[in-house]
Amino acid sequence: MTDPDKWLTSWRSLGALSVSRHDLAKEGLTVSAFLPLAALIQAAQELKQARYSLLDISALEAKEGFVVTYHFDSLDQPARLAIRILAPKKKPLAPSLWSIFQGAEWHEREAADFFGLVFDGNPNLVPLLLPDPDEFTGPPPLRKAEADLAPVSKLGLLAQVEILDPDFGELLGLAQVSDSRGGQA
Amino acid sequence: MTGCSLGFINPLSVLENPGTTAGDFYARNFEKKAQPGRVILNLGPQHPSTHGVLRVLCELDGEYVARCEPILGYLHRMHEKMGEVKTPWQFLPNLGRVDYLHPLAWNWAFVGAAEKLAGLTVPPRAEWLRIISCELNRISSHLLWWGAFVMDLGGFTPILYAFEEREKINDILQIITGSRLTMANFRFGGVCADGDARFFKLIQEFIPYLRERLKMYQGLVTDNVILRRRLEGVGPIDVDLCQRYGATGPILRAAGLPRDLRVDYPYGYYDQVELTIPTGPVNDSFGRYLVRLAEIETSLSIVERALKVIPDGPIIMEKAPKVSWKLPAGESYMAVEGARGQINVHLVSDGGKTPYRVKLRAPGFSNLSLFAEAAKGTLLADAIAILGSLDLVIPEIDR
Repeated sequence: MTDPDKWLTSWRSLGALSVSRHDLAKEGLTVSAFLPLAALIQAAQELKQARYSLLDISALEAKEGFVVTYHFDSLDQPARLAIRILAPKKKPLAPSLWSIFQGAEWHEREAADFFGLVFDGNPNLVPLLLPDPDEFTGPPPLRKAEADLAPVSKLGLLAQVEILDPDFGELLGLAQVSDSRGGQA
Repeated sequence: MTGCSLGFINPLSVLENPGTTAGDFYARNFEKKAQPGRVILNLGPQHPSTHGVLRVLCELDGEYVARCEPILGYLHRMHEKMGEVKTPWQFLPNLGRVDYLHPLAWNWAFVGAAEKLAGLTVPPRAEWLRIISCELNRISSHLLWWGAFVMDLGGFTPILYAFEEREKINDILQIITGSRLTMANFRFGGVCADGDARFFKLIQEFIPYLRERLKMYQGLVTDNVILRRRLEGVGPIDVDLCQRYGATGPILRAAGLPRDLRVDYPYGYYDQVELTIPTGPVNDSFGRYLVRLAEIETSLSIVERALKVIPDGPIIMEKAPKVSWKLPAGESYMAVEGARGQINVHLVSDGGKTPYRVKLRAPGFSNLSLFAEAAKGTLLADAIAILGSLDLVIPEIDR
């Protein structure tokens, strides 16, 4: 299954917070979605069955929390897509994808190093790129100062977005706007 | 081949009570899961077969690898943080230092991500210059891998031949990049220097020269019975393993899938180039060897084609971005086919002076992550062959 529309349908049924269409030429993605933490494993399993592989895990810190973007691409044809989660600041805990994609172990350890995220189910969550805890005790290096944080809505992660969960829309300040760019979502 | 590196913490220890030996944090962490009576071997980070500064902890059952774990970070420089504190322009020289063997692919990935985000157009001559230089760079990367790989397996001579060709490529690329190792001649909207008559003449001479040399490599190394016995049937990596670990590039192609970003997501003028994607007849270490040698030939044909069609004209767009240039707010994801696989840059900007987030996805990172599973149960000497067949560049993995 590499049809982007089918993924949007599948994510909707998983209770996606929002779904977005992207311009492949400009943004390098076909579709993306913000999923609730509880739906991440199920979505990853579906992607694995459809012969997708995990390219990388790209985390960033925004005002509302940590946005963790999982990039996937199909083994059979070009159909790159992304699923995202928003991990809360106070307890940045996300489920680990290690049981589905074993390569996720290192990507998660990297995100743990740089942002202090915790991945539940990762078999070896020790520092990967940063020195071991005996030597390095500083704060995660890619955390930002409060004044430098930007809201998710300013970072262009949503593209032609359709907000499905009103609470999520309110959190991002997009409750009334179904499309941040003015096109049909 | 022995892989014992003396002088580092805990080089070799027989476990009586796992987890209690005096090693560093990683050795203790690794030993916790080891079985009593096994030998723990610490390979690297200063061992020649680990290509720079990779460290691999191995639990040995006799001469077989029962379990192993690569330890990274010895070359970590936090390029992603530098990307957030420098303007995009100031960050450019960093890209030549992420992977010193294929720096121009990293140049392209970052510059391309910024160009996509800002909607910049690159003049045709610059696009072709990018293709020519990037492909020559890919050849030099593959040549160095070839020499170093055969050296890992105990054959010293080939690397001397490889360096002879590499020097010729460096002579050519020096004309337009100004450097021989950490090249950074890409600019937002073009490249910084044009090729002169000598540049094109040297390439014209180099193509038939390398084709002749490749024939010699075939007889000298590829058909060598010692090399074949070291590689054939060693370390099969199938599509399932690639999928679970996100392996790309020659490893995925040797597993039989014709996936190449130059065809799948053509960037620059790659859509105007006819490209045959070599895939492996076999998915073992020898298959990966054959795929890379075939890719040298593919790159030569691309350069040949580019030389025929490259037009005259400007090499950088008018009003190209300057040092203080700000990226518009938004996100872009640019993927470039590097010598080792998918080089992806995830660039997020909030419209400020510096990018909000620069995520660098190194192909070697995912390719190395499958090593622990691929090496499980093999002879230690075969594990070294598998490690070499992954074509690792540690600065790229550690970033």
